Amino acid sequence: MKYKITHTTKYAYSQAVPVCHNLVHLAPRVLPGQRCKEFQLLVHPEPFSIAHRKDYFGNDVSYFTIDQAHLGLSVTATSQVEVTAASQIAAAETPPWESVVQQLQEKHTAGVLDAYQFTFDSPGVKLFPELIEYAKVSFQENRPILEAVLELTTRINTEFKYDSRATNVNTEISEVFEKKHGVCQDFAHFQIGCLRALGLAARYVSGYLRTNPPPGKPRLVGADASHAWLSVYCGEKAGWIDVDPTNNVQTSVDHITVAWGRDYYDVCPIQGTIVGGGEHRMTVSVDVAPEEPQPAAPATGDAK
Amino acid sequence: MSTPPLSVNNIFQGYTPPEGVYDEFLLDSGQPRPQSKQFLDTVVKIGREEFEHRWQQAQRTVQANDFAYSGVITPKNQPRPWELDAIPFLISSAEWKTVSKALKQRAHLLNLILKDLYGKQTLLKQGDLPAELVYSHPGFLRGYHRDQLRNDCFLHFYAADLARSPNGNWWVLADRTEAASGIGFALENRILTSRMFPELFHQCNVERLAPFFIAAQESLRKLAPQSLENPRVVLLSHGPTSPNYFEDAYLARYLGYTLVEGGDLAVRKNQVMLKTLGGLIPVDVIFRRQNSRDCDSLELNASSRIGVSGLTQAARSGQVGIANALGSGLVESAAFMAFMPRLCKSLLGTELLMPGVASWWCGVPDQLNYVLKNLEKLTIYPTFRIRGRDNPSVESLNQMSPKKLAELIRSKPSDFAAQEKVIRSSMPVWRGQIQPAHLSLRAYAVISGDSYTVMQGALARTSPNLDPLEVSIRKGEGSKDAWILSDQPVEHVTLLKEQGRTISLKRSGSELPSRAADNIFWLGRQLERAEALARLLRSAVNRLSGETRSTSDLEVPVLLRCLADQGQIEPGYAIDKMRHQLPAIEHVLPTAVFDKSQSTSLRSIVDELFRLGSIVRDRISLDTWRIIRRIDKGFQPPRYGTTNLSDVLTITDDLITELAAFSGIVMESMTRTQAFRFLELGRRVERSLQIISLVKNSFVPMPEVPSPIFETVLEVADSLMTYRSRYLSNLQLGAVLDLVLTDETNPRSLVFQFMQLAKHVERLPRNRELPGYTSEQRLVMTLLHSVRMLDIQETAETHCLGDYEPLEKLIETWDYQLPKLSEAISHRYLVHAVPSHQLSDISPQ
Repeated sequence: MKYKITHTTKYAYSQAVPVCHNLVHLAPRVLPGQRCKEFQLLVHPEPFSIAHRKDYFGNDVSYFTIDQAHLGLSVTATSQVEVTAASQIAAAETPPWESVVQQLQEKHTAGVLDAYQFTFDSPGVKLFPELIEYAKVSFQENRPILEAVLELTTRINTEFKYDSRATNVNTEISEVFEKKHGVCQDFAHFQIGCLRALGLAARYVSGYLRTNPPPGKPRLVGADASHAWLSVYCGEKAGWIDVDPTNNVQTSVDHITVAWGRDYYDVCPIQGTIVGGGEHRMTVSVDVAPEEPQPAAPATGDAK
Repeated sequence: MSTPPLSVNNIFQGYTPPEGVYDEFLLDSGQPRPQSKQFLDTVVKIGREEFEHRWQQAQRTVQANDFAYSGVITPKNQPRPWELDAIPFLISSAEWKTVSKALKQRAHLLNLILKDLYGKQTLLKQGDLPAELVYSHPGFLRGYHRDQLRNDCFLHFYAADLARSPNGNWWVLADRTEAASGIGFALENRILTSRMFPELFHQCNVERLAPFFIAAQESLRKLAPQSLENPRVVLLSHGPTSPNYFEDAYLARYLGYTLVEGGDLAVRKNQVMLKTLGGLIPVDVIFRRQNSRDCDSLELNASSRIGVSGLTQAARSGQVGIANALGSGLVESAAFMAFMPRLCKSLLGTELLMPGVASWWCGVPDQLNYVLKNLEKLTIYPTFRIRGRDNPSVESLNQMSPKKLAELIRSKPSDFAAQEKVIRSSMPVWRGQIQPAHLSLRAYAVISGDSYTVMQGALARTSPNLDPLEVSIRKGEGSKDAWILSDQPVEHVTLLKEQGRTISLKRSGSELPSRAADNIFWLGRQLERAEALARLLRSAVNRLSGETRSTSDLEVPVLLRCLADQGQIEPGYAIDKMRHQLPAIEHVLPTAVFDKSQSTSLRSIVDELFRLGSIVRDRISLDTWRIIRRIDKGFQPPRYGTTNLSDVLTITDDLITELAAFSGIVMESMTRTQAFRFLELGRRVERSLQIISLVKNSFVPMPEVPSPIFETVLEVADSLMTYRSRYLSNLQLGAVLDLVLTDETNPRSLVFQFMQLAKHVERLPRNRELPGYTSEQRLVMTLLHSVRMLDIQETAETHCLGDYEPLEKLIETWDYQLPKLSEAISHRYLVHAVPSHQLSDISPQ
């Protein structure tokens, strides 16, 4: 599946901003099942320079500063990405979840160590005792890890209500759990919390979701936003498997991965500090356009 | 005359070390240790009386030099964290050499650990260190990690807490790697103690601290990108609210670096800049005293209000040297101590030269078991330490009942570490009599070349009990100077640059940070306000009491109007009809002066003056600061009984004298830099406002001014002597107004203030190539012109004939334009230190 992705963020200020510093995670990752053919970052007004590097988790991160007075900032990231469906491992064939926990604690190989760092509390995922209880309903003794993960995903999807006004970026997962509502970021954080409470490794994935339009209607441009889900470490053989609690699916060619980290704060699409500026307004539009005719797959997307 | 018997005169008489510990002064036999012998002999020779006398003198120096204050004055009068004790800790240089060697090894080792953890993380892959300790550590800055490390050094400054166990061996209690606190205190203790025993200090061949600071300067210099010969180094402090602010300011002054806070710095094109009056100037090296996480509000901690956005990127791109490197605090957590022996073997292939106190990390099951079984023998610490922020505090943890503590540890073992309680050595301390106390040393090392230079001295700390150190610091226990005694005479060293290299002469001053200029400007204003108020009050009190009472009915209302105008008393007192319904002014005034709840009261102004003075302490001379301290201390209501008018009289008299001393020092001793200019600008603006208020409240509402009022005005305006010498007792409005407003030779006249303002504004830094005048230039010229063009006799005559308008108009114009001038100056020079804030994050939906 090939996509052309355009992600535009615009800021407008009531007073001129003399200086801004920004850090952005907008370039799709290159992965075994994902190729990024072209990535462009357009910033207006033009920054003095843009520095690209890999962050701690291997994501592409760009840093730029603008030091001429400006009343607005626009950041546009465009890319062409090809996603191929990976052969999906049968859930029943994945190892029992306890063995994965044990492996994480005992093995020090680069791969396991890399996964191990995603087993701890992080600024956006603060663990609390009830998480284990909630998770244990699906994580019965010796159950294959993926089976349990998928069931947990389904439970979150059905028991939690999607409500874009209920939470903000700083909502803690304990509140999400208490009120049983939130957006994709909250669901991802919450499920990550459940898995980490068990001693499993789970990371936050930020990216895009292709929207499947209703039959006969044109695709809505700009109605989408960035999406978030999570990835679970299922042992050395099965590796990382992505699940999306918002849509209750195991990801496939509809999800485009941009970056991953311990939680939202590690991969925030645009971070910035400004001097002055008074009031500011922000608008975001994301367009994920398939480059070839769509297969007549059933609609699973829920990118509000 | 016979000398009194030795025993009475010997301050060490009756000193008995506690049982079962190593005593630093005495052998088990009760005889002095070899290194203490000379010291003891001399102190005994000095005698108790002289010793006490010198100690009191030293205490006074502490007071006078503000060593006693820890940070800025909130909370006020907070004692310094480590109170100085008179008797230094003594150690032979041979023994210190052994200690130094071990410290060098440890600093080197910690540096290697940091390099590995922020780089390849081999230690985690080999299992030498549990990965959890790093991965879940809030001080592990992922943004700073990289595969290829540009610089080889993370740990430029290292501090270790050491203690001596009963068998005489030294142990490491803790490592301090974020920013070595206490260096400034060690320096200060040295200065005070060596002053107390000058002869002893020389006889004992005490090693100097200066070589350490020279090495520090050299290392910081070498950190500069592109190996600049004379890089700009700044000392980045957490600011006045931090308990370390005092020593930061002290160190900055001693080392000759600009003291800055996050708000003084900005990053432009990856270059760190200092915001100064003259614009942005590049900074090459940052001597970091602030915690890493607070350094960058973009990358490290979005909630940091004192961070510099882009600092991490600037460091990453090699455009600025930072010591210690960001993230260096990672390894100072107690849990790391448990793994040091293994890490030493793995990285250096040898054993630790000095053992660390036995430590356990509860994240490892068998270590957890040991800890739970031996709780009473151990001190429990939170696993992760963020300097200056213990949560939960060590104190609260160790005060819990063993049962509760065990429960807490079991609930999340990896959050806790434990250390064996150490029986520390003992030493005499002087608290009016001699007492034993337990000792620990904070020793310092700084990188120099491939190795570390260890300070030939230390911060010795004492506490009467064996609580963990963190606890005893808070309780304000003692500190001592540490003397390393050489067998040979010690060379004198100076921090000044080596001879032979000619430095280029400078008259600079434009490097004043904008924030400092702002504070100095307001310091000037408050000084002047305090003086004007004191004069007003003094005149009022004089007339409310004593023999001048007869004419007071005429003058008092004028003074009350002025005082009400300044917010000293309720506005009702300014209105004749209302005054009689209010409580008698004689009773109200003395309390109003000291009323801290009123922000305009004279006491509040003195508070503000003190606050500003303490913030700009690094910009004003010690003598000047001393005067501010004296003003603050002296301006108090009498301790007993109620305050009455004569108290106010005494205290305002004193205040006026102190302020005159301040002005004198400023005029005679302050170099004419931008700091001086801003102090002057503040004073002149304020004095102009005061003169205007005086004239307005005295003359404007009345046509025929009775002569006592003239006298009052002249007295408040400090121009009475001049008037009398010119006109004797012939008091006329024209002559009075001339002296107060238009006489260019009277330093108390309005025109004189405007002339000074014009002069200083002219010399402010600006782009002189731009055509035309700046707004502040135009404003000040307008003001000056308006007074100079004034025919004061004519204005006075018109006024006496009942036409108040001309004088009223003038006052109105000045009243309007002066604040404008003040604003224009702040706009151009002072407020480009506006704080930055975060763009609201985008929530994925």
